Amino acid sequence: MNDVTLSTKAPTAPIFQSIVRLEAVQKFFGPVQALRDINLAIGKNEIVGLIGDNGAGKSTLIKVVTGVTPPSAGRIFVRDKPLDLGDYSVRAAHDLSIETVYQDKSLAEKQPLWRNFFVGRQITNRFGFIDIKREKEIANRILIDTIGFRGAGITVDSTIGNLSGGERQGIAIGRAMHYNADLIILDEPTAALGVAEVRKVVDFVRRIKAAGHACIYIEHNLAHVHEVADRLVVLDRGAIVSEVLPKDMSVMELTEYLIQLQHET
Amino acid sequence: MMKRFHILMAGVAGTAALVGAGPAVAADPIGKGVVMYMQMGGNAGDGATLARQTGAAEAAAALGVDLKSQFSAWAPETMINQFKEAVAAKPNCIEIMGHPGSVAFHDLVKSAVDQGIVVTDGNSPLTDLQKDFGTKGFGYAGVDLYAGGTLTAQAMLSHGLKKGDEAVVYGVFSQAERGQSEKGLADTLEKAGLKVDRLEITQEVNSDTSLGVPVLTAYVQAHPNLKAIGTQHGGVTGILEDVLKKAGKKPGEIVVGGIDLGPATITGLKSGYVSATLDQLLYLQGFVPVVQCVMTAKYKMPGLSLNTGAGVVTPDTIGGLVDLIDKGIR
Amino acid sequence: MAKSASGSIFQRVEAVPIICVFTLILVLFMYTAPTVFLQPFIYTTFLSTLPPLVLLATGLTFVIAAGEIDLCFPAIIAFSGFVFAVLFKEYDLGWISVAAALASGIFVGFVNGVIVAKIGIPSFMATLATQFFWAGMATVLSGGKSYALRDAEGSSVWTWIVGRPFETSEAMWLAPLPLQALWTTIIVVFLWFVITRHRFGEHVLFIGDSNEVSRVVGIDVDREKIKLFTLMGFLAACAAIMLTLENKNFFGNQGQGYLLTAIASVLIGGTSIFGGRATIIGTVFGCFIIGMIEAGLVASGLTGAWVRTVQGLIFLISIIFYVYADEPQRRRAFLARFQGFGRVRSAG
Repeated sequence: MNDVTLSTKAPTAPIFQSIVRLEAVQKFFGPVQALRDINLAIGKNEIVGLIGDNGAGKSTLIKVVTGVTPPSAGRIFVRDKPLDLGDYSVRAAHDLSIETVYQDKSLAEKQPLWRNFFVGRQITNRFGFIDIKREKEIANRILIDTIGFRGAGITVDSTIGNLSGGERQGIAIGRAMHYNADLIILDEPTAALGVAEVRKVVDFVRRIKAAGHACIYIEHNLAHVHEVADRLVVLDRGAIVSEVLPKDMSVMELTEYLIQLQHET
Repeated sequence: MMKRFHILMAGVAGTAALVGAGPAVAADPIGKGVVMYMQMGGNAGDGATLARQTGAAEAAAALGVDLKSQFSAWAPETMINQFKEAVAAKPNCIEIMGHPGSVAFHDLVKSAVDQGIVVTDGNSPLTDLQKDFGTKGFGYAGVDLYAGGTLTAQAMLSHGLKKGDEAVVYGVFSQAERGQSEKGLADTLEKAGLKVDRLEITQEVNSDTSLGVPVLTAYVQAHPNLKAIGTQHGGVTGILEDVLKKAGKKPGEIVVGGIDLGPATITGLKSGYVSATLDQLLYLQGFVPVVQCVMTAKYKMPGLSLNTGAGVVTPDTIGGLVDLIDKGIR
Repeated sequence: MAKSASGSIFQRVEAVPIICVFTLILVLFMYTAPTVFLQPFIYTTFLSTLPPLVLLATGLTFVIAAGEIDLCFPAIIAFSGFVFAVLFKEYDLGWISVAAALASGIFVGFVNGVIVAKIGIPSFMATLATQFFWAGMATVLSGGKSYALRDAEGSSVWTWIVGRPFETSEAMWLAPLPLQALWTTIIVVFLWFVITRHRFGEHVLFIGDSNEVSRVVGIDVDREKIKLFTLMGFLAACAAIMLTLENKNFFGNQGQGYLLTAIASVLIGGTSIFGGRATIIGTVFGCFIIGMIEAGLVASGLTGAWVRTVQGLIFLISIIFYVYADEPQRRRAFLARFQGFGRVRSAG
């Protein structure tokens, strides 16, 4: 993997316990409670699989962790330091080295690759004008080295809309890797991917851990997440109901468990 | 098969040549070679514009003038832009209307006249410009607006309006010279002792008069003692029968005075809903400027003033004019 | 697989289709009305009548690229135009009236932005409502009257904004060159740099692409939308000042005619109504075409009645073209139908 890195932060020495910790986090959307009493700590070098049925609150949890939406109550700690929740935003999350890869809203379809790589953290001069040449250069290197799209007819000028699902995921993941995030969150990354491409994503998740970083992996397909996660956190109706170690439960047993949860009131 | 085709084509060509070579030796019309741009006012074919178009077209045909018509939906800024485009095309003559006012037009007209273009005016007067450029051919073919309004009001008064009656005048009071028509109407009614409410026509209604129906209907229903409605907008005159029917009034309950002879106005006159309409002889407002153009361009005559607001048409006199109106002449 | 990036000239240079159409129409008019279109005068006239339209359409390009629409700008032309006219004429405030008019446009635009971004009303509805409000305010405050700006040429405001700097020149075509064309060019060129190379421009494109994606990549969507509508308000105020000075008159209803022509210019130029893509060069040429049609048709001998029909036809053809250009599958399917034709013919 390439170590061309763009982030201007100094590498932090790992003197903290958990990269992200949620303490008694609640989230209300009007009268509806989407997150209930969430206490969750993510270690600095582990893969945590987040599973649960539709509507369990997985997406909301991620939005809270990554600064898209603030929690209604509770505290969030990053590297053991509490966050000022009024100030927390996606940009702040990026500055703290937390990156997210969404299933289908990581990239803007009508825009070219190079813009998608740098949007939100453009290389600009004092007046806000983008150094397009430099962005394209770096984007090109990411494309070839980090993601590995050599000679595939994809260039930094290609529009995202012209790429296949797998290629798009590759771009989104490559972007997250490039920014050398300490915590990468993947929100259902294998949905709508072909078999070979799913394999690539799962391999990539392993690489995150091998590179010394942490990962939260939200997945609908239990077989995929079971394969790579260090532990599985089960979400149901907005609350964490249990934590399972993959070696303790097979995929089939896990499936049965989730179905059983649905039938309980 | 092809041979027969060739013979047929030869026959057609031969006939065409014979016909074309016919009596081509008539005298050239006086205005041959003259190019003229003319502001028609509203939208092509609408009530207050059609007769003008017909008059202008017939004058152009008779005199051999190359006439180019411009339509502005009565919007003053559009008229100004269209004048500029006309000047850039360097024709022999341009006819404008007074809606934008003398101040807006003065410098533009001066520069056109300095370039040798004949500029004349129709429908709405520009008295300052007539003074300045009359000798160079700046004439006027239209109603003396204030007097026209007065005439209409007098016709309305003769239908039995009394002191203290309520009246509404719906018009474009905001436009400098053009607003004089409605002002004349309103002032005359006031002098006769009526209580006059002045209502301004918005630009939307100005361009598309059907939008005025709900406005006036609401007004009429809100004023149960209303005895008279006056306007000097051709399109508005046309909708008044509809308005009064919708407001539940019978013909003659409210005295209506308007202008022009659009199709809806004719129906209004026949049914009695419209009491009097000022006939501004739109045909002449189209015909005369073309003549003015040729007279000045070819014979260097100065600008002439023609007051086309000779009288009003009433339900009694409309009958004889219907055929001519259908032909787009009156 | 992704399509190759080194495409034809259509993909590498901005706005080529509309420039071709413009050239075609221009050449056509030169042929049908040579006395007008082969002379410089009609072009200098366009330079004095087109700047307001170009400014409005450029602002709209940003707005439409962000996936929004602004219907309020005609009312800003009336309202800011009124502010300028009344302060300039009644109170003789010269440059202060210019500043006040710009401020009024910025204010109206800002309010529009807040309504759309913070209150969350779709821009179509919000700006339609504010259009009625501000146009009404203009009528109420002006009493429906027009303001004639007599002797405006004497003032420095006139000289610097819409003056003719080469008035005394010998060349007949140079003399009427108006300054607003210069200011408009400078503003439009600057805005081109913004939409293609500035962070704000990029944010606008992303917001038009998808509000969701923009939020998750760290764009403050609300703040950028407010900036967007404020920019539109500013440009509309500039247009109002130029228009009012050029006509030396404030007409109570000025601005109404620009609503549909400005939107049409943007869409003909190639900016997609769905957002995410913008071409200012296309918009400018769209303005040229729309502005040129009427004069050209009339000079060629067609009655003015044909103008709207021709404009509509060009509009239709352009947008159908852009839809096909953007979706390669539909283009291939369309062309395939023609290939099928040929094969059947030759068999018979």
